Amino acid sequence: MAHDLEVFWFSEQPYGHVTEDDLEGWESGRMHFPNTYFDPEKAHVLYSNYHDQYQLADEVNFDGIMSNEHHSSYWCMKPSVNVDAAVITQRTRKAKIAMLGNVIAVNDPVKMAEEIAMLDCISGGRIISGFVRGTAVETLHAGYSPTENRPRFEEAHDLIIKCWTDPGPFRWEGEYWPHRMVNPWVVPIQKPHPPVWFPGTGSPESVIWAAKHRYPYMNLGSLLDLTKQLKGIYHETAAEEGYEAGPEHFGYLIRCLVADTDEKAQEIGRTFLWTENHRNRGPMEFNDPPGYQSREALRIKMSRPLIGTGTMGRRMTYEDLQDAYNIIVGSPETVTEKLRHIRRDLDPGYILIYGNEGHMAHEDVMRSVELLGTKVIPALKEG
Amino acid sequence: MTTVQSGSRTTVNVNGTAVEMYSGGNGPPLVFFHGAGGSNGWQAWHEDLAAEYTVYVPSQPGFNGTEAPAWVKTIHDVAHFNHMFVDALGLQDIILMGSSMGGWVSAEMAAMDDHNVDALVLVDPAGIKPREGEIAEIFMVSAETRLNQRFYDPSQVENYDNYARELSPEEQLVVHSNAITASQLCWKPYLHNPSLPHTLSRVGTPTLIVWGNQDAIIPVECGHLFQQAIRGSQLRIIDNCGHSPAVEKRAEFVGAVTGFLNSL
Repeated sequence: MAHDLEVFWFSEQPYGHVTEDDLEGWESGRMHFPNTYFDPEKAHVLYSNYHDQYQLADEVNFDGIMSNEHHSSYWCMKPSVNVDAAVITQRTRKAKIAMLGNVIAVNDPVKMAEEIAMLDCISGGRIISGFVRGTAVETLHAGYSPTENRPRFEEAHDLIIKCWTDPGPFRWEGEYWPHRMVNPWVVPIQKPHPPVWFPGTGSPESVIWAAKHRYPYMNLGSLLDLTKQLKGIYHETAAEEGYEAGPEHFGYLIRCLVADTDEKAQEIGRTFLWTENHRNRGPMEFNDPPGYQSREALRIKMSRPLIGTGTMGRRMTYEDLQDAYNIIVGSPETVTEKLRHIRRDLDPGYILIYGNEGHMAHEDVMRSVELLGTKVIPALKEG
Repeated sequence: MTTVQSGSRTTVNVNGTAVEMYSGGNGPPLVFFHGAGGSNGWQAWHEDLAAEYTVYVPSQPGFNGTEAPAWVKTIHDVAHFNHMFVDALGLQDIILMGSSMGGWVSAEMAAMDDHNVDALVLVDPAGIKPREGEIAEIFMVSAETRLNQRFYDPSQVENYDNYARELSPEEQLVVHSNAITASQLCWKPYLHNPSLPHTLSRVGTPTLIVWGNQDAIIPVECGHLFQQAIRGSQLRIIDNCGHSPAVEKRAEFVGAVTGFLNSL
């Protein structure tokens, strides 16, 4: 393999105090679940734990840390990936910082370009700038019509890249963000600009978009067969575009927890299914409102167990998910072996470890980070 | 969704855009513009009005599987387009009528130019923001919620089962694409235009505003705001009735409309 495997740590930063009982009875698990269940004092403790996990991941030689952003979600306390990335720059010394990513369709692209450039300068060029369309709830929560997400995304992307690569000042006659003078003072340290990643779950449209732009595509935990199909689409598109895609164009997110024994890991790992029937529960008008995505993408989505299946996909048990290599838990030896299987099957250039969930104990997660960094990752990289 | 045979379906070419249209009857021209859910074609109450009027029921651009010209992006644009539609048919001295979103479009059309409009009939129109209540959410809710919001008493609705039944894949596709078009037109500001109460002051056409007293989507309070905005307009409130009086209180609705038009 020409491309060295890189392994990233990722935490959704859940508000783990929420229970199934809390969620029962509300019309949906996100927009309708009231924020009166959020206790800022408890969040303070949780944020601190999550940042300690970042620091340890860096110390035990994870190649990078991935972060993300969601709104109106109890299972992700990060309404700003750039704020989280700023913390990571200060709690780590060498890890890459993969933001996956900014919901650029519903933000000011010029300010996005400035903030990401600022993070790149602060971190000394460690930023990977993912751009995401977000779940539909991100767009609804921001107050925009779901029909605008895709065209806004396209324009925001083009404007951000121009901010990073064309000297200012320049004029931008866009449909959504018309500017007569654009001249951001801060530009990225990486040239021509930080690497861009694009994530997806089941949408072929997303894969094709990423491949056309030659951006690495990160699959967020689809089943292996579907993921291979999507990867195939990337390779086909790359060939049409006149280049050959390799492992460096493809990453895979996997729920994974390591403990000293298989038994202990099995017990802790069960929390990966925390509130999973609720997290994206809600009418189709929330999860896939008309105009948000193509019908083909919706059809594929029905067949996959997304992290947090919600009401859209088919249900799988903890054991089913382990058999399908969709959740990996165990001792360092067990996990290494299973990750080797994924590596043989998918040949990803990047493995993104979705490493904690819900109310998992901080000590257990810290131990998992340590075992991953000191035992699993070195063994995996040996082949 | 009663379809009566006497309304015939045709296609009208409006500056290169095809508009699907049902029409029937005899008498002065009456043009009806549908709401955000799209056109339901030729309905029983159209047939009632067709006894005295020539009734035209077009789909608006982007609804019912029709193409919208690329420039049609707002309700204003739809209103301009609908004027072009009336011109394309060569209609003079029309009765302009619309329901819900179509009532909003009709109000905008009248505010732009009402010299060719003999009478304006607005049925539970969107377009003006209520002061006390709010316009119900119609996009970020399930189809079941949407249906429950629409009617006050389903037992008053002929063929209610037809509204509540499972749709065929082809029908689902139409509903889905209508929702896309409505989202594009009505999302922000939500189902209203802050300028409309002011621009309506130019309307001199005799106007009837009809409202279901128990409208759970656009509160009846908006009926009073429309009446204040259009000088000399009449407000007819139909009791025990939701957002679609033409469907839920067909006889009373048709009586109110024909009574108003005959009085002119």
